[in-house]
Amino acid sequence: MIEDRHIILAHGNGGRFMRELIAGIFARHLANPDLDVDLDAAPVTINDDGTPFISTDGFIVQPLEFPGGDIGSLAVHGTVNDLAVCGARPHYLTLNAFIEEGLEVEQLDRIVASLATAAKKAGVRVVAGDTKVLPRGEGGGLYLATTGVGIRPHGLELGMDKIRDGDTIVVSGPVGDHGVCVMLAREEFEISGDVQSDCASVLPLTEAAVKFAGLRFMRDPTRGGLATVAGEIAQHTGLELRLFETAIPVRDPVRMVCDMLGYDPYYLACEGRVVAIVAADNADALIADWRETEGGKDAALIGKVRAGNSKVVLETELAGERVLEELEDDPLPRIC
Amino acid sequence: MSAATTRHIQADATATIARHIVVSGRVQGVGYRPFVYRIASEFEITGSVYNGGGKVHIHAEGAAAAVDRLQAALIDRAPPLARPAIESRVDTEFTGLLDFTIRPSGASAEADVHIPPDLFTCDECVAELNNPNERRYRYPFINCTQCGPRYTIIAATPYDRPNTSMNDFPLCAACQREYDNPHDRRFHAQPLACPDCGPSLEYIDGELRIEQTEEALTATVNAIRRGAIVAVKGVGGYHLMCDAGNDEAVRRLRQRKHRPHKPLAVMFPIDGEDGLAAVRQAVEPTATEAQCIADPARPIVLVAKRPDFPLAKTLAPGLTELGVFLPYSPLHHVLLQDFGQPVVATSGNVSGEPVITDRSEAINRLDAIADAFLHHDRPIVRPADDAVVRVIANSYQSLRPGRGSAPAERELPAKIETPTIAVGGHMKNTVALAWDRRVVMSPHIGDLDSPRSILVFQQVATDLQNLYNVSATRIVCDLHPGYASTRWAKHQPLPVLTAQHHRAHASALYGEHAGAGTWLVFAWDGVGYGDDATLWGGEGFIGQPGDWRRATSFRPFNLVGGDRAAREPWRSAAALAWAAGHDWLPPVDDAALAAKAWQKNINTLSSSAAGRLFDAAAAFVLKRQFASFEGQGPMELESMADDRAKPVSLPMSTDADGVLRADWQALLPILTDDDRPMHERAATFHISMAQVVVDQALSLRDEHNFATVGLTGGVFQNRKLTELVTDRLMTLGFDVRLHRDIPANDGGLCFGQIIETMATDRQ
Repeated sequence: MIEDRHIILAHGNGGRFMRELIAGIFARHLANPDLDVDLDAAPVTINDDGTPFISTDGFIVQPLEFPGGDIGSLAVHGTVNDLAVCGARPHYLTLNAFIEEGLEVEQLDRIVASLATAAKKAGVRVVAGDTKVLPRGEGGGLYLATTGVGIRPHGLELGMDKIRDGDTIVVSGPVGDHGVCVMLAREEFEISGDVQSDCASVLPLTEAAVKFAGLRFMRDPTRGGLATVAGEIAQHTGLELRLFETAIPVRDPVRMVCDMLGYDPYYLACEGRVVAIVAADNADALIADWRETEGGKDAALIGKVRAGNSKVVLETELAGERVLEELEDDPLPRIC
Repeated sequence: MSAATTRHIQADATATIARHIVVSGRVQGVGYRPFVYRIASEFEITGSVYNGGGKVHIHAEGAAAAVDRLQAALIDRAPPLARPAIESRVDTEFTGLLDFTIRPSGASAEADVHIPPDLFTCDECVAELNNPNERRYRYPFINCTQCGPRYTIIAATPYDRPNTSMNDFPLCAACQREYDNPHDRRFHAQPLACPDCGPSLEYIDGELRIEQTEEALTATVNAIRRGAIVAVKGVGGYHLMCDAGNDEAVRRLRQRKHRPHKPLAVMFPIDGEDGLAAVRQAVEPTATEAQCIADPARPIVLVAKRPDFPLAKTLAPGLTELGVFLPYSPLHHVLLQDFGQPVVATSGNVSGEPVITDRSEAINRLDAIADAFLHHDRPIVRPADDAVVRVIANSYQSLRPGRGSAPAERELPAKIETPTIAVGGHMKNTVALAWDRRVVMSPHIGDLDSPRSILVFQQVATDLQNLYNVSATRIVCDLHPGYASTRWAKHQPLPVLTAQHHRAHASALYGEHAGAGTWLVFAWDGVGYGDDATLWGGEGFIGQPGDWRRATSFRPFNLVGGDRAAREPWRSAAALAWAAGHDWLPPVDDAALAAKAWQKNINTLSSSAAGRLFDAAAAFVLKRQFASFEGQGPMELESMADDRAKPVSLPMSTDADGVLRADWQALLPILTDDDRPMHERAATFHISMAQVVVDQALSLRDEHNFATVGLTGGVFQNRKLTELVTDRLMTLGFDVRLHRDIPANDGGLCFGQIIETMATDRQ
C-alpha cells in the first residue's frame, strides 16, 4: 500500500512507488478481464457488427471534485458521450493520468474509484493506461485523457448533412448545470449545493434516439454550450437555427446565477445532455421516449431549423429576436 | 470667371453671350431642372439643362444681363429644398439657339448622384389636399417635385420612376400630362400619383377589410377614436397609433409592446397661425424648439410638458419632456385633420429593431400589438425611422438621424484616399460611405442584436454603394470585437481598419465643426471598448483626429454582470459602493451573490464610463434599480434635478499613464443620504459632474495649448449637464463645441470613423 499521503515525484519514476500506485489505485478500481497492467498494449476483441469509431478527449477541471461529479467521471462521460452522440456503442477506453506532485493520495483514490464506477455503468472497459507525475506547480492537481473505441451499427447514418429545413431541435434536459456548478464550486460560493453538474453518460438517451428514422444528428453540448452546437450546425449547413427562449429548459438556480453574474446559460457547458436534430414528425415521440429514459425527464422541443443564412436566432420571451453569435473570448458588454 | 469676361459684360449688358454653368450641391430630386427651365423662359434664355455627374449643367444663351440674372436666380430663387452652389461658370461661343430644352440625363454620367431624404408635404400640395375642387382632394399620396418620398422609394439610380417603387403604378393620362409638362410643378415628379393611377389604402380589422381609400381613412379614425391601436404604414415604415388623450389605450399599447416606460412620440394636428397651436396645448416649445418642430425634416422634438399636461399621463412617465412632431406625409395630414386630436405615433417595431416596412412582416410581428392595420401598396424599399432632435444650449442636436434628415451628406475636409465604408457601432447603428470629398450617412438602423437589424444593416451598407455608384475598397469599424458591425466587417473580402470608440466620437465632433488645431474633447457615454480592453466612457482626449491622447478619465470601477449593467443601474451603484468599502446590499433579489462575484472578480470588467456614474446616481437617489429602456435612470435623474445646488469637488490625481482621473467617491455620502430631497441630490450630482469637466479642462489648459473644448458621447444629450458645462466653460473663455447634425450618441460613430481614418491616412 502507498505509504505517503501525498503524491511524490517518485510515483512517476518507474520504480516501486509507481508500481504500487498503479496496482493500489488504478488496477484495483479498474480491474476487468481485458486489463493487464503488465502488457505494453492490450489485445481487444469486439463482438459487435458495425463501423468502429474512435474518440479522444483531455480533461482539466477545477475543482477536481464538484457537486454531481469529479474529473474521473467526467473523463469517462466525455469520451463515452462523444461516441454515443455519433450513434456508436462504446466498448473500450484508454486512460492517461498526469498527476501533480502533492496531490492527496486519498483524493486520487476517490477520483479513480468514481472513474471506475462511471465506466462500469456506461459498459466500457479501461484496457490501457499511463501515469505521469508532474513537479509541483506544473499541473492543476490532476489532468486526465481518455480515448474510446465504439461501434456504430451498420445502416445508422447521422450527420449534419442530413439536416433539413423544417427539422426540429430537441434537448434532453436543462442546460448550463455543469458550467454553473463548476464555477460556483471553483469560487467557493456557498450556494453551490443548489446546483449539481449534469455529468452523466448519455448512452441511454442516444440509444433511445437512434431508433427513430427521422433522427438526423446528435451532439453533446459541452464547451460553449447549446449556442455553440447550434452555431456549428448553422455554419456547416447554411441553415438557420431558431431557438425558443421560453422552451429551453434552464433550472431556476442556474438562471438566477446567470442573471446575477451576467452569463448566458446557452453558452455554458453541459456534461450529460444531448441536442438532437430530428424530423418534425418524430419530435414528439422522441421527447416522450426520452422523458421515460434515465437523464431525459426534462427533454423538450426547443427550436426549429429553417432555410436561412447560417445564423442562430433566439426568439425571446418578449417577441424579440436575438442573434446568438459565435463565442469569442469572454463576452464583453456592448451596450452604451 | 475670367477678368476679360467680366469687363466684357460690364461694357455691354445687351450683347448676347453664351455661358456654361455647373451647379452642385443638393440639386437632385428637388425639381431643380424644371425650375431652371422656368426661369430660363422667364428671362428669355435659350439653351439647355441636363444632369451630369450628379450636378446640373446649364448652357444659357441670351442678353448678357439676362444670363447674369439667370445665374443669380439659380441660387436666390432655388426651390426650397434645393441646396445649390455654383461650381463653375465659363463663357462659351454664342450659337444662337432658338429654344430652351431639358435634355435627358445620361445614365453613365450619374457617378455623382445625390439621394434626397423623404420630404415633407409642401404647402402647395397641402392646399390641394384640402381643396375639394382638386382631383387629389384628400388623396394620401399627393406629392410634387418639391415634396414626397425619396430615399425610401429609390431602388436604384438614376432617380427616375422605373427605378423607384412607383414603377408598378403606370401614370394615367392626366398625371402623364403633368409629368411631361415643364411648366407644371409636377414635371418629372417621380412619385407622382393620383387617386386614379396611384397607391391606395387598405384597412384591415380582423375579418373586416376595406379597400376604398376614403372608407379606410374613416375606419382608421373611428378605430383610434374608440381607443384601438392601429398600425399605420407611412413613409419610412409603420407607426403604431392610438389616441394620445386616452390613458387606457396608451397603457394597452405599452403593455402589448412590452414597453412599460420608454417615452412615446406624439403627432399633433396642424393648427393655428404657425401650425403649432395644438402642440402648445400640451407642451411649451421655446422659439428654437418651435422652429425645429416646423422644420421640413419634421423631426420628433423633445419639448417640456406643460404643468397642466392634458394628454395621457403614461406618455412619458417620470420625464418632464415629451417627443412631439407634426404630420409630414399627406396621409398623416388627412388622418390628423380628421381625428382632430394628437395621436401616439411610435415606431412599429420590436424594441431596438428597424421600423417595419413590409405588409406581411407587419401582420406577422405587429399582430399581437395592433387591433387594426392601415396598409398602403406603395412599397418601402428601405426603412427610415422618424428623426429625433433635442434643443440644448439653444441649438438643436440630432439624437437620431432618420426620415426627413437622412441620408445626410457632408463635404469632407479633404479628398479621402480611397472609397471607404464606416460601419458604426452596435447600438443605434448608422453607416457612412465616403469617397472623393463626400460622405453620406444612413438614417438610424437600430441595435444590431436581431436578425432583422443585421439584415437591414447589410442592405443599407450595400445599397449606399449601389445608389451612389461607389464601391468601397476598405471598411472601418469599431475596436470592439463583439459588435455585430465589427464581425460583419471582418467577414468582408476587404481590408478592415478599426477606430477606438471614443476617439471616433471626438473625431465626429471635430469633423462636424471642420475643426483646426488642438482641441480637448470629452467623450462621455455608457461603455466603449478602450485601448486597454477595459470599458471606457468618461474620457477626455487632447489633440485632433488621428492623434487623440487620452488625457482625462474617472477612477475606474468594477462592474459585475456584463451587458446587464446597462439595464440594471443597481450594478453601477453597487460597483461604487463596494469599491468605496461600503458593505451596502442593493435592494434586489440575490444581491449577495453579485457581491461575492464582485469580490472574487468573476465576470467583472473595469470601467470608467460616466454613463454608469449617472446610472449609479439614479439607483441611489431615485431607487431606479432596473431600467426598462436605455438611459432611463439618467433621464429621470435629469428630470428630477433642481437648478441650483453646490458642486461637490471631486479630487483629481494623475495616474501612471498621465491620465488625470476624477474620483467619484466624494459624491457617495450625498447620493446615499436619503434625508436629503431627491431633487437636491440629483442637482448636486449634475453640477458636480459638470464641475469635473471644468476642473479637468482648466487643469489641462496649464500644460496644453488649446482654446476649444468639445462635448460628445451620449451623456451629453443630457441638457442639464451640457448647459451647465457650456455656461461655465464659456465664462472661462473656452470655445465650446456641441453636436448638431451628427448625433452625440453612437449614431454619430460612422462619421467619426471616417474622419479618424482620413487623419490616419495622412500620417
